[in-house]
Amino acid sequence: MEYLVAEYNYWIYVLLMMIGLYAMLAKNNLVKKVIGMSIFQTAIIVFYVSIGAKEHATIPIIAHGQGHGAVEAAIDVAHYANPLPHVLMLTAIVVSVGTLGVALAICLGIHRRYNTLEEDEIQEQLQ
Amino acid sequence: MNIVIICLVVSGLFFFFATTVGLLRFPDFYSRMHAAGKGDTLSSLLMLGGLALYEFHEINIATILVGAKILLIVVFIFMASPTATHAITDAGFESGVKPWQKEKTEEQG
Amino acid sequence: MIWQIDLSILSLVVLCAFATIMVKDLLSAAIIFGAYSFLMCLLWTEMGAVDVAFTEASVGAGVSTILFIAAAYQTTRIVKARRRGRLASKIIGLGAAVIMGLVLLAAEANFPGFADPNSPASLHVSPYYITQTLADTAVPNMVTSVLADYRGFDTMFETAVIFTAGLAVIAILRRVKRSDLCELPEPYTISAGYEDTIIRFVSRQLVPFMQLFALYVVAHGHHSPGGGFQGGVILGASFILLAITYDMQFVQQRMSEKWNILLGNIGVLIYAGIGFLCLLLGANFLDYSILSKILPATDKIMARSHGMLGIEIGVAIAVMAIVITIYLNLSSHGKLDKGL
Repeated sequence: MEYLVAEYNYWIYVLLMMIGLYAMLAKNNLVKKVIGMSIFQTAIIVFYVSIGAKEHATIPIIAHGQGHGAVEAAIDVAHYANPLPHVLMLTAIVVSVGTLGVALAICLGIHRRYNTLEEDEIQEQLQ
Repeated sequence: MNIVIICLVVSGLFFFFATTVGLLRFPDFYSRMHAAGKGDTLSSLLMLGGLALYEFHEINIATILVGAKILLIVVFIFMASPTATHAITDAGFESGVKPWQKEKTEEQG
Repeated sequence: MIWQIDLSILSLVVLCAFATIMVKDLLSAAIIFGAYSFLMCLLWTEMGAVDVAFTEASVGAGVSTILFIAAAYQTTRIVKARRRGRLASKIIGLGAAVIMGLVLLAAEANFPGFADPNSPASLHVSPYYITQTLADTAVPNMVTSVLADYRGFDTMFETAVIFTAGLAVIAILRRVKRSDLCELPEPYTISAGYEDTIIRFVSRQLVPFMQLFALYVVAHGHHSPGGGFQGGVILGASFILLAITYDMQFVQQRMSEKWNILLGNIGVLIYAGIGFLCLLLGANFLDYSILSKILPATDKIMARSHGMLGIEIGVAIAVMAIVITIYLNLSSHGKLDKGL
């Protein structure tokens, strides 16, 4: 049962990534592809955050009254979640919203030029 | 004190459940919005009130700050959620969604 | 780390992801994507990543949804039904996804146990960050101190990336008073010039409190989840709220395009400027401890804390300006006359 619970988490992350990948490859509408890209990005962020999670650990903010003063009320490393993946994923989320803005702007530009957002109609007009 | 907190949270849960059932079962856009707007605001208020009361188990400056912040969230939801419901219902009305009419059967003719 | 909540939220997330890509209406897809983002935010809070969850709640569930709705407003709303002849690409897409998924699952057998405190990711550099952040920088929030001090270069370039994204949107979309090559399509009909007293009044009352809360989030990022990005996005969202409930001219009278771009520049300049200031004073680039020479009554540790606050303010200003720019350009197709 423990094995199943632990493995189930990883399977769900892979499943989410593959849903995003499928949407990017197989969907016809351009905005649906962009949504698939966003799903892929958030699935990767879930994966990284799960690397930083620790059992029975609290949030990575040092509680009031620990670590101060001469007596090193020792900060127990296993008591706090790992902050490093969180920092990397903060950057990833902000960059993903910038990418989303540019992708939607390109979609608007394509719609103005070809008057459609469907990929096969655009390919017909290109030939 | 614990009994009051449990009562608040459970009644909030009950109203959320009622909201969900109403959202699924009502026949019309307007009645669904009615259920969603009322139930959403009320159940959030009850649950957050219970959580704020839980903070006041021991009174010192830290817990008073946390409880006050939760109560500020309650005030914000109380102002913003009915406005959002009003906005959605107005948008539906402007777009021409018709209210549900009970179908007349042949016998009642 | 309660595994029951974990599994139930994960199942709901997969359901939302399926629904988002299968639905035929772009507006519904945007709303379901907002729900997906909120569920992700819950998941990350439950795993202990509160800063990441805060950023996702403001950026993903707030701003991304409104950007999708603005894009759907300017283009077609209904996705056309599936045609014949697309079957090949669907099979290729499904095959590629399945093969990739199997490869990832095969690699997954070698992963360390889930939520293991002794996994390799938690053993090398991060114990130093966890134990030394209070002694080095006097900032209890480990994520803020790593983001702004220990890994400050990454954050500076990330701010530059956000600024570049805003520039790219302006370069792609912005049109100034020139006759276009082809006619712009009519935007999806929403009652133009529609006023409603209740909505306008409430949103006008809420905006100052939103902005005050955003400033609180920026300033309190040292002691609680928060920081520059989240505060900047909330500031931008307050302007987007005004642009939706009133019209775009209302926002442009208060935050003109010239000031918008200028503020974006000033934000990145503050960040790099603090770095150069440290260089001028004799230390390395972005080494804030040297700022104790010019700030009154601070020692080296508190100087690092104040330097972090300075760059967080720069990041917040830049992110606010860029979020407003992207929304205004997307929802008016570059012309900035009237939007959603």
